[in-house]
Amino acid sequence: MLNVQWLDIVSVFAWFIAVYMVIVIIFYSVILTISMLQLRKEYQLDRIQAYEDYMDEFYTRPVSIIVPAYNEEVGIIQSVRSLLSVNYPTFEIIVVNDGSKDQTLEKMIDQYEMKEISKVVRKQINTKPIKTIYQSTILSNLFLVDKENGGKADALNVGLNFSHYPYFCSLDGDSVLEPDAFLKVMKPIIDSNEEVIASGGSVRIANGCEIKNGHILKIGLSNNPLVIMQIIEYLRAFLMGRIGLSRHNLLLIISGAFGVFSKHWTIEAGGYKTDTVGEDMELVVRIHRLLKEKKVNKKIVYVPDPVCWTEVPEDMTILRRQRRRWHRGLFESLWTHRGLTFNPKYGSIGFISFPYFWVVEFLGPIIEFLGYIFMVLCLFLGGVYIEFAIILFLLSCLYGSLFSMAAVLLEEWSLTKYPKVTDIVKLFLYSLTETIWYRPMTVFWRCEGVWQMLVGDTSWGEMKRKGVSK
Amino acid sequence: MINQDILFLSILTLSLMCLLFLLLLYLTIRKAKEIKKRREIVSYKSKINAQIFSVIAEGERYRGIGCETAVKQKAMEELLSRYVKILEGEEEKKRLSDLASDCLQGYYRKRLKSKKWSHRMNALYHIEDFHMIKLLDEVVILSKKKNLTHQEFIHVLRILATFQYNGLKELLHYHDLSEYEYRSILMRLNHDLFDQFVLSFHKSTPPLQFAILDVISLKKALEYRFFTENIFRSYKSEIRLRALKALAEIGYVSNIEPYFQLLYSSSWQERMVAAKLIGSIKEEKGIPRLIELLHDQIWWVRQQAGQSISQFPNGKAILQSVLETSKDTFARDMAWDWLHKGV
Repeated sequence: MLNVQWLDIVSVFAWFIAVYMVIVIIFYSVILTISMLQLRKEYQLDRIQAYEDYMDEFYTRPVSIIVPAYNEEVGIIQSVRSLLSVNYPTFEIIVVNDGSKDQTLEKMIDQYEMKEISKVVRKQINTKPIKTIYQSTILSNLFLVDKENGGKADALNVGLNFSHYPYFCSLDGDSVLEPDAFLKVMKPIIDSNEEVIASGGSVRIANGCEIKNGHILKIGLSNNPLVIMQIIEYLRAFLMGRIGLSRHNLLLIISGAFGVFSKHWTIEAGGYKTDTVGEDMELVVRIHRLLKEKKVNKKIVYVPDPVCWTEVPEDMTILRRQRRRWHRGLFESLWTHRGLTFNPKYGSIGFISFPYFWVVEFLGPIIEFLGYIFMVLCLFLGGVYIEFAIILFLLSCLYGSLFSMAAVLLEEWSLTKYPKVTDIVKLFLYSLTETIWYRPMTVFWRCEGVWQMLVGDTSWGEMKRKGVSK
Repeated sequence: MINQDILFLSILTLSLMCLLFLLLLYLTIRKAKEIKKRREIVSYKSKINAQIFSVIAEGERYRGIGCETAVKQKAMEELLSRYVKILEGEEEKKRLSDLASDCLQGYYRKRLKSKKWSHRMNALYHIEDFHMIKLLDEVVILSKKKNLTHQEFIHVLRILATFQYNGLKELLHYHDLSEYEYRSILMRLNHDLFDQFVLSFHKSTPPLQFAILDVISLKKALEYRFFTENIFRSYKSEIRLRALKALAEIGYVSNIEPYFQLLYSSSWQERMVAAKLIGSIKEEKGIPRLIELLHDQIWWVRQQAGQSISQFPNGKAILQSVLETSKDTFARDMAWDWLHKGV
């Protein structure tokens, strides 16, 4: 009697996981198809040509580039240099030193001959106090704002208060932009006559590429398996997920590493929120919310092509911290705005985006984690359970490896960023192994993030960079 | 039942896996071919580069530059694209255009009919860049195609504008474009064709009206100053503002008096553009009010007032005295800004 009940519970559980996975697989397939059609249309389009006509327009929509820097002495000079050579008619660069404990400030002052200036900053968003403002004596569009430590979001808000131009771009201190990146992200804004108020670009991984003076010389592939897996993960997230969501204005994430926002709407929404770890996503959600509440028809889009190269962690400890933090950030954004879920007032954002992020992005890892535990248990129990285990394993192959493989092929089919044949084969073969090691590992870390949140642990540690540039 | 499921799933997974492997095979072969083709293009380019240069720069007759294969066409296209960006003289541009027509006309004619959107778009970009006026008829035919995408249509219109095509105005008549799109088309027109648009200004839709005024202001077209002043007097709100902006760019008005009161307007946009006008005409009577506008509550107005003051011969001195005497931090800040511009 007891035995039969036990069996029932186990099979119900197994079926629950299986059905969940099937639903997600269907959802991913739909998104993959949308992305495929979109990317294929622009295959081999001569992109640079398309931007020449816009030069005058770009001229009238200057951009403030805000670079929050906290202990970035290794990479800051290089990233500023890469920004200075960006192909865009009018822009200013605002480096916000968020109370660094290393030589970030001194290095900047030395390198660009920064001089103290007295300037009044209009406080449109409340921030920690500014200590000093510097302007470069060689380049009048380069500023350095030194402030008390208050976290990345606070630094971005200071940059926002200080900035002069109607659009701004937030950029991580260690990323390298492709020269035409700004032209490409600004194009949808101009094309739509400012109906598009924020636009985000693709982020790719710089580890393994040859970078000098803030320029990508050669795109390459790292030999570190962990990095390769992250490359695949990024391809999958950007090429598959975001193109699909962006098509229907459902985008809830513009990567903190590279995105342009309208300053007006950002300030109207209240700027970056300082007490969350996922300030980039939270802001996008808040802007969406504001738009729906004001009933204005504005859009947030993702542009697959413009590429920002950034460094990712190369060892387990840091990657683990990063993943825990991401998952917490995701939860915090969703929780703060939980009222949007299935709220008819917010239309497709409430009915599609939010449920998607709750069910697939947030709960996904937890359910997958349970699935892995279940699989291992079943192996020990033997008998009919082995079959459950096999079903779940096959499903997770579909769910993990196959979609990643498809994403790698999609890249090669449409954008072809990697120059060598071996690069693609290598990426493909690695993505085959995803289900066996990388996926369970990251899923476990994400669950740890949830656990930490439940027990109220708020530390998340700092990321140490080694610098990708020579 | 479970066994059946396992079978089904295994078959599904395996067949998808096989499919992906086949795709991989196809893509790697394609990539290898692409790499080989790229190498061929690069080597052909370096082979003909010197000859092409002398054809374009010195008008030499050319012999033996073949364009019969895809590789050669691509190489030619890339070389010409590079030269077209750096060329200055009319002679040279003409020679380049002739060369492009000789070598690539057939290629683009075919490409314009291609089923692939990106092929058609690329062909359009190059037809415009190389000014291949011999393909005008094909482009006109394309403009009448039913299932043209909006982006293609806009580009077709731009090309027709560059070629000063007479039927352009009629073509535009049935379509609603955005202000930016109109502007990019009008910017390419010569005086006569642009005149047609100016003449029918009153019947045009607001985006087209904005575009016309913006083109006048971007080209600083002195010949349209009376027209623009007229528009300024007879229209309201945004159009009036654009006309004012155009006048500020042209830097000429028949009588400055009526414009002074705009410096006191309740709309900040008007205050800003009026300040710009005073600066570009360098009307000394406006200076005291410009100094007041340095204290305006809107950043854009302060910024423009600062710029206008700095355009006067004694501008620096005025700003310096504001910097030393004013009690308003924002005004001092703006004065400082304009004194230190361009360091």
